[in-house]
Amino acid sequence: MSSRKERSSRITEDEINDLILKLHPLLPDSSSRCNTKVSATKILKETCNYLKRLHKEVDDLSERLSQLLASGNVDEDTIRALLRR
Amino acid sequence: MSSLSQNPKKTLSFSSTMKNPNYNPLKKRLASRFLKAMGRLKCKMSPFPATIEEKRRRHRAVRGAAYASMASAVGPRRAWSRALLRKMKGRKRARRNPRNVDERFGLNLNQLCDVVPGGEGMDSRSLLNETAHYIKCLVAQVQIMREILHSSSSSSTTL
Repeated sequence: MSSRKERSSRITEDEINDLILKLHPLLPDSSSRCNTKVSATKILKETCNYLKRLHKEVDDLSERLSQLLASGNVDEDTIRALLRR
Repeated sequence: MSSLSQNPKKTLSFSSTMKNPNYNPLKKRLASRFLKAMGRLKCKMSPFPATIEEKRRRHRAVRGAAYASMASAVGPRRAWSRALLRKMKGRKRARRNPRNVDERFGLNLNQLCDVVPGGEGMDSRSLLNETAHYIKCLVAQVQIMREILHSSSSSSTTL
């Protein structure tokens, strides 16, 4: 039982910290705070909030897109132009 | 490589695409799948939905299409996309690993589990990796949806 954990080599705190720090540049407003040191817990918290915000945004955009679909303003040309980009 | 230099036209378009900061193969894949899904939805829809229930159904359909196209564009390569695909197919959750999230960061990693699809069964390392990739995909998806809205509204105003 203990051998299994040793085989997967208990994830070190440093490793977790590194991974969390990698999340930081993905967050919005990370550029304004790049000079100061940001704590790992803060990054985690902001990541959670950011993800919730993104989910909400997908929800809102879906609502607007569904109205758009109904009104029939999406035509083939728009779609093709977008696909080309 | 030599063929590229022999054909200047090809070189130009290839290198200009790569240098273009907007060049994002993931985004292209996401966009094409989502747009196709939207096209299919459009065909299925009645043009003037009368009831609120129909509007709600449409909204849910578009939202489902957004996540579905994200998950299928990424495919089984990522744990979060696998989790989403399983959810879409209505399958029960995979062999559930005991929640192994590190207690040192306790509360916040647990919250992250809840927000990232498939997060419950992951260890801390995977969870953080998956989160990073998931964020990138979500951001791309949001951009695509905004662009569709923006281009449709601008084309209707030019009429």
